Amino acid sequence: MIVLTGLDLSIPWITKEALDRYIVPDPARPETRMIAVDASDPAVNRFLFAHPELRPKDDGPLAIPRAALDKADPETRLRLRAADMDGAVKAALLLLGALFFNFLFGFCQTFVLEIMGQRIIHDLRLTLFTHIRKLPVSWYHRNPTGRVVTRLTGDVENLREMFTSVITFVFKDIFLLVGILAMLIILDYRLAAVTLIVIPVAVAAAIGFARRSRSAFRDLRVRIAEINAHLAETIGGMSVIRLFAREKETDTAFRRLSDRHYDAGMAQVRIFALFMPVIEVLNATALGLIIFYGGYRVLGGFASLGVLVAYISYLRMFFRPIRDIAEKYNILQNAFSSAERLVLILDTPVADDEQPGGDPGAPIDTIAFDDLSFGYTDGEPVLSNVSFAAKKGETIAIVGPTGAGKTSIVSLLVRFWDPQGGTIRVNGHPLAELDPQRWRSRIAMVMQDPFLFAGTIRENILPDPDRPPAPEALDAALRLAGCGFVLDRLDQGLDTLLTEGGRPLSSGERQLLSIARAFVKNPELLILDEATSYVDSVSESEIQAALSRLMENRTTFLIAHRLSTARHAHRIMVVKKGRIAESGSHDELMDKKGLYFRMQQLENSTGHVPS
Amino acid sequence: MTAFDLIRPYFRENLSRIATGLLFLLGVDAFQLFIPRIVKHAVDALSAGTATPHLLARDGGIIVCFAVLIGVFRFGWRHCLIGTSRRVERAIRSDLFSHLLTLDARYFDTTRTGDLMSHATSDINNIRMATGMGIVAVTDAVVLGGAAIGFMAWIHPGLTLMALVPMPFIVLSARVFGRRMHARHKSVQEGLAAITEHVREAVDGIRVVKVFGRGKQVDDRLKDLSKDYVGRNLRLVRVTGSLMPLMIFLSGMGTAIVVGAGGRLVITGGISPGDFVAFISYLGLLTWPMMALGWMTNLVQRGKASLDRLAVIFSERPKVAEPRHPTPLPNPAGRLDMEKVSFSFNGSRQVLRHISLAVESGKSLGIVGPPGSGKTALLSLLVRLYDPTGGTIRMDGVPLPDLPTADVRRLVRFMPQEPWLFSGTIEENICGLGEGADTGKLDRAVTAACLAQTIEGFEDGLNTIVGEKGVMLSGGQKQRVALARTLYDSSPVLILDDPVSQVDTRTAHHIIEAVFADARRTLVVASHRFAAIVPCDEILVMEEGLPRPPAGSGRILPGNLATPEPGHGNRGGRPCVGADTSKRQISPSPRTTGWQAACSPLSPPTGNFWRRPCSW
Repeated sequence: MIVLTGLDLSIPWITKEALDRYIVPDPARPETRMIAVDASDPAVNRFLFAHPELRPKDDGPLAIPRAALDKADPETRLRLRAADMDGAVKAALLLLGALFFNFLFGFCQTFVLEIMGQRIIHDLRLTLFTHIRKLPVSWYHRNPTGRVVTRLTGDVENLREMFTSVITFVFKDIFLLVGILAMLIILDYRLAAVTLIVIPVAVAAAIGFARRSRSAFRDLRVRIAEINAHLAETIGGMSVIRLFAREKETDTAFRRLSDRHYDAGMAQVRIFALFMPVIEVLNATALGLIIFYGGYRVLGGFASLGVLVAYISYLRMFFRPIRDIAEKYNILQNAFSSAERLVLILDTPVADDEQPGGDPGAPIDTIAFDDLSFGYTDGEPVLSNVSFAAKKGETIAIVGPTGAGKTSIVSLLVRFWDPQGGTIRVNGHPLAELDPQRWRSRIAMVMQDPFLFAGTIRENILPDPDRPPAPEALDAALRLAGCGFVLDRLDQGLDTLLTEGGRPLSSGERQLLSIARAFVKNPELLILDEATSYVDSVSESEIQAALSRLMENRTTFLIAHRLSTARHAHRIMVVKKGRIAESGSHDELMDKKGLYFRMQQLENSTGHVPS
Repeated sequence: MTAFDLIRPYFRENLSRIATGLLFLLGVDAFQLFIPRIVKHAVDALSAGTATPHLLARDGGIIVCFAVLIGVFRFGWRHCLIGTSRRVERAIRSDLFSHLLTLDARYFDTTRTGDLMSHATSDINNIRMATGMGIVAVTDAVVLGGAAIGFMAWIHPGLTLMALVPMPFIVLSARVFGRRMHARHKSVQEGLAAITEHVREAVDGIRVVKVFGRGKQVDDRLKDLSKDYVGRNLRLVRVTGSLMPLMIFLSGMGTAIVVGAGGRLVITGGISPGDFVAFISYLGLLTWPMMALGWMTNLVQRGKASLDRLAVIFSERPKVAEPRHPTPLPNPAGRLDMEKVSFSFNGSRQVLRHISLAVESGKSLGIVGPPGSGKTALLSLLVRLYDPTGGTIRMDGVPLPDLPTADVRRLVRFMPQEPWLFSGTIEENICGLGEGADTGKLDRAVTAACLAQTIEGFEDGLNTIVGEKGVMLSGGQKQRVALARTLYDSSPVLILDDPVSQVDTRTAHHIIEAVFADARRTLVVASHRFAAIVPCDEILVMEEGLPRPPAGSGRILPGNLATPEPGHGNRGGRPCVGADTSKRQISPSPRTTGWQAACSPLSPPTGNFWRRPCSW
């Protein structure tokens, strides 16, 4: 980089040297007043013959005064100044050399820095992603998808930009500034002192600009994030927008966001439009000063014309880095605030890492909920004083009205969340002391919203792509889960490629596949959260038969809206407003004639098929 | 539509601004060209020994004055031209959004959300850069470059020619590199889009990732994508990294030539030293336009690539088109009929095959069937989210494509299977953002959807913010909000896709009661809960895109009217004909009704209901 800066600086210097020494030497200075000429050149001899007064008095090296050149014709002048001409050509070649190396180093530098930057960013991206995916579900609750995606793409890209462009340029610019300053002072410190009067003004302008543009930039980022969020939401809900004819208001809302983004953009344009000309004016002021004071010094014989020309060149180079740094300051600031946000994420403790306590070891024997209380936000308890225990192989059904906290109970069990009060114990070990990853590896869960990844059905279902089960075993498991007819319908069977959101499968088909996924995992503990809500009663009964085979000898938690699903459970817990209202087997609860009994009656009365 | 056709109207809109900006820019360029003349004047005077302090002061002063003028002009063009690019950006973005709003479900089925987001942000950003700085760079290159060359030629044509020897190489390399850059930029953008989509998916499915231990898999996938992205970036930087130094090299070559050849001219007295210095200054002026040429190629190529992508979206037309001669429906009664309707989402798999049915005004139709049998597809056709691939759907005898789509949406209220909420408040979700909510209608909708109590339980009531996609609500709550939204406006036709799948039996009972209470509405319900189907006037049993059973005996529940129409065979059968045989009611003890009796043989979930024809 230093070599590059040196090369950058050398170009005007070489030009100046060529100018001063060879092309336009100053007749006033003693060392350049006389030109050494080569008497063996016939043209030179002819000239000397025509102007005898120029002939040297002594036998020393042949030289003529520069002023005498005016008397010669162009051709002779060239011969007389052959040395100067050589010098000029040499300088030109030197210049070419410098340029070539500048090119070579410039490319290497950019490429090497890019490789470095990209590697660092690649590592950062992976670390960050792994960290984020290990964060507890509560974190995802607070951070909408759009924001998380922006962290991993936008913010990381900002850092990349800083690494590859800013670091290179800012350092180069600083080197350049220092180098130019040094050159200016070396060339003529008095002239430097006068010209550099403008520097404090330029620096002040740059600082003021950087500060204003930072806030403008931040504003712009906020606006673009709003636009992104609105877009993501609209695209996701496009059908609903169309169905409810909300196009106009959605459009108006978007145009408002777009306008605000424009306003922020214009504010930024104004700041830039003000700053750039200010630097320009300062630059020109410095140029005027050089012409005036520098010219004055040339007149007085204190400086050469070459110095003046070099000065003008350097000056042009001087203001560019200032402008660049002020401009890049944005990116730098941006990168800093991005880095801050990323550090904040990296500092959030993860939930999934290896933790002391590890594994309950032995097969799951008992799971005990001890006086649990839990709420997603403070002051709004979702569960209170929930206590019960499940033994190995037992099926526990959880029923109750919507919003009663059924899903929350199982969310605590898989440690998506941790309770605010009370403990869950597995074989007597508090769940909080177990390693969540290993704990979850023993659980399979079928969720309310069947989520499938883009990719083949096979990829979605297999627990570990490195150890695929035998094809027949997989096929059997799928058919057990009721997916047989889904696969038969698809031309490519298990290799059917699903896109975003599990398309082209219907909701019911997706649910069947997510059940199959649980089947294939072959877990110790099975959690079914409304596993059959999108499936018709008849398919459900088929799946139910399959599930009951799966549930044999496995501890199962089952959340159901249809009581028929719950009826064969060993124990049914009726949850209401975050508390366990009733608990017992189907027959016990029916005898009790409580809430469960009433729900059962209602279900029968509305035509739900009793089994 | 070509990329240029797309951008032209936006430029036309801002023509006066662009013209003013260009005028300012020309002013800047003109003054900029004058400054080297003044420098030359001063240097010549110094060199000739005729300079006086007064002359120097005057020249210096003129430079400063010009600089101030340049400053003002510069502010002017920046404000006009860069401002224009911001205006263009805003207009394209807003128009893109409006355009997206006109596209139909089929388009969004096949387009990734992440891609659309990157079109609306980074692509439009690229276009802004290309239009703003692009215009400036082109103008500068032409005006400044042309003028600088002119002045140089005025000083010495021969030397100018020599100094410009590298010029063709610059233009040539800029073109060659530009083309490569275009392709590689595109590939970098695609790489980033892939990462974005992967991250979005992993975040959305974080629960599955955690429970099924997919962490390592998603990590590995990101690693692959990120590696690929790094590779794409490095391929790009091989071009961009060599372009700038090459430009500097080539333009510096001009200086070297001038020092060599121009030096000779000064020595021989061909040009004055002042001319020589001015020449070098002009060459300096030329460096920027030349470099700008390279930079501009970069920007413009990027902008063009982005414009191309946007042009593809803009040329997309909804498959569900507005009728050319819309037929108004002054007194909609809400009679629906389908004639030999077939449908396929992607052209290969037939989801519906030759379905014919009719629902009389004010009657109700229930649809049941196993997953993937085409229930949702059938309902989607009724609201024209899609158009059928074959056959006709009519409303009050008018084919749906002949009705204005806005009318269809107004006349038919549809509740999709998976509840999808906006991130605003509950009230906004139910009533929309526009004009104030109608309290009466709101109350009715909330009561019918069994939401009243739930909302009372929230601290902010109807103003509770539901969060992204309704994340703050439970599955059942979301479903009921979506239902209330559907019930808010009373439309002649109501279509519900699995409306009570996520609520408990008691709530479901209330909801169904409320929905069936309004006897004027035509109602179509698909559900897995028999409770929602039982009160229907007719029931359609679907299997594999066909009314069941395939043998052609279109079966209608409740147990009457099981009259096959032999003439139509299995394809054209009309399993559902309007029949006023059963009153809409929810009987408290259905065991006593004919339906229950008729259906009891198939009541036990024996597992082969769909395969065994019911004998009743």
